[in-house]
Amino acid sequence: MMMNEALLNVKDLNVSYQNLHVLFDVAIEIKEGEVVVVVGRNGAGKTTLFRTIAGFLRQDSGAITFRGQDIGHLPAYDVAVRGLKYIQQDKHVFADLSVKENLELGSYATKDYDWDRVLVHFPKLKTLMDRKGGNLSGGERQMLLMAQSLLGQPDLVLMDEPTEGLAPHVIDDLKGVFKKISEQTTLVIIEQNLPLTAEVADRVYAMKEGKIVAEIRDKQEIEDLAFEKYL
Amino acid sequence: MNHFARYVRGPLILIALLVAARYMFPNKMTFLFEVSTFGIYIIANDILYGYMGMVSFGQPFYLGIGAYAAAIYLAHIGHNIFIAISLAILAGLVTGLILGPVYIRLRGDYYALINAATCAMGLFMVEKVMLPITRGDDGLWYRARMHATPFLNLKMPGDVFWFTMIVLLIVMIFYTWLDRSTLGAAFRGMKASESKMKFLGYDTFKLRWLGYTMMCVLAALAGSLYAINYGFVNPSITEPARAAEVLVATLLGGPGSVYGPFFGTLAFLGIKDFVSNIMTRWELAVGILTIIVCFYFEGGVWGTIQTIGSKIRGRFGKKGDAAASEAAQPPKS
Repeated sequence: MMMNEALLNVKDLNVSYQNLHVLFDVAIEIKEGEVVVVVGRNGAGKTTLFRTIAGFLRQDSGAITFRGQDIGHLPAYDVAVRGLKYIQQDKHVFADLSVKENLELGSYATKDYDWDRVLVHFPKLKTLMDRKGGNLSGGERQMLLMAQSLLGQPDLVLMDEPTEGLAPHVIDDLKGVFKKISEQTTLVIIEQNLPLTAEVADRVYAMKEGKIVAEIRDKQEIEDLAFEKYL
Repeated sequence: MNHFARYVRGPLILIALLVAARYMFPNKMTFLFEVSTFGIYIIANDILYGYMGMVSFGQPFYLGIGAYAAAIYLAHIGHNIFIAISLAILAGLVTGLILGPVYIRLRGDYYALINAATCAMGLFMVEKVMLPITRGDDGLWYRARMHATPFLNLKMPGDVFWFTMIVLLIVMIFYTWLDRSTLGAAFRGMKASESKMKFLGYDTFKLRWLGYTMMCVLAALAGSLYAINYGFVNPSITEPARAAEVLVATLLGGPGSVYGPFFGTLAFLGIKDFVSNIMTRWELAVGILTIIVCFYFEGGVWGTIQTIGSKIRGRFGKKGDAAASEAAQPPKS
């Protein structure tokens, strides 16, 4: 693959929930090493877009290519195995399993047992290995989900509202983590926290009523929250 | 501790308790045999129910598959008990491989009910459709056709007990391994969130199929042990009404726990054995106990033992940083 070729390419994507048309001709392009943030109000179709890319929903029409390969009709597990991971919005870790077992599940699926490479970003998890997932705080769960998804060295991670419901100091910590992780993998994040978006994003897509209504590439415009007018 | 010893220690202790009980209560050998065989049956159910969250109202069907496979062979075809057991295991495997891809597509109440329907059909098959082979309600009697086996003569109930102990030990070691393995964690992960497992890269369909097939094989194995111990099988073994027994015993022991099936079996059959001496409808006592467990002891007998154990351990000290650091190491790939 050429360096300037898109890592992920979504073209003319249309998605419906039975008779309810949710995404209309959505097109996005993600290049390797970028941090792209998708913003939009509730119901704009952001999560539907992510779930379709991740293989959990089927598109009515359009194309999704990842590293030049069509992944639009692959099941979710196959998409994950190919290096495109999705972290759901609900911060759902396996509550009855320990942190260690949660990580083992991430390792077993990807055959990547290099935990040191991952846990260097989340040192706190090292002290919580025997704690059940259900007893973790919101921030700790998010860290565990991110650590789990980084096993297997994915090329692209989709994160659905990773800071939702977290305390400000935890969000500050995660901000640093996003920057470090983005040195290893490409990140596409759905985020409602606009100041955070301004800090971490290289590019921003704004969504409204199932459509991409703007793409902001200029860093200065992103820092000035120019995308706010599209929401 | 030695890696292998971790999986063997617990099962060995439980088997030793059963063996000790055999000598302490010589007139309870049938009860102890039932505990061992029913224990394997409950382990089979627990893989589905406890680990994967799939409730089945048709477990007697899978028990019956093994029992009838062994019984039909011994009554009509051959005399070798080991071949009968092997055929039962094979029948369980084939059932899992054939029915699995169809049944595991269903979830929740649909999965439970399709199993109930299958169980009812199985009863009809052995009672009516296969009458010339199964002899319907009269059942199959074949003890006289069973040939003695070397080392342990499985024609004799005393030797069947020892053979069952060996089989139970192997099954429990396997089950302990499963509980502590990533495969066991994957089963539990599916119970918690199947979509999350898919996003991690797991083909959950294949995982469910594997679990279902394991269940079929173990239930069929338990059925074959019944068949060789009693030298007789009739359709009552596949009665849908008996599906509740296996669910209640699993619940009593503590679903999804490594020693839950053993203690659940012991509690269920123990109450049945004890209460049936006092009153005819022993089911009433089991029913009341099940309600109490549901409301106050969610983890069942084994869960309660664990809770008490961890409270005692908590009183006598905590793990240090060294232990935490050791825990942060990944398993050997």
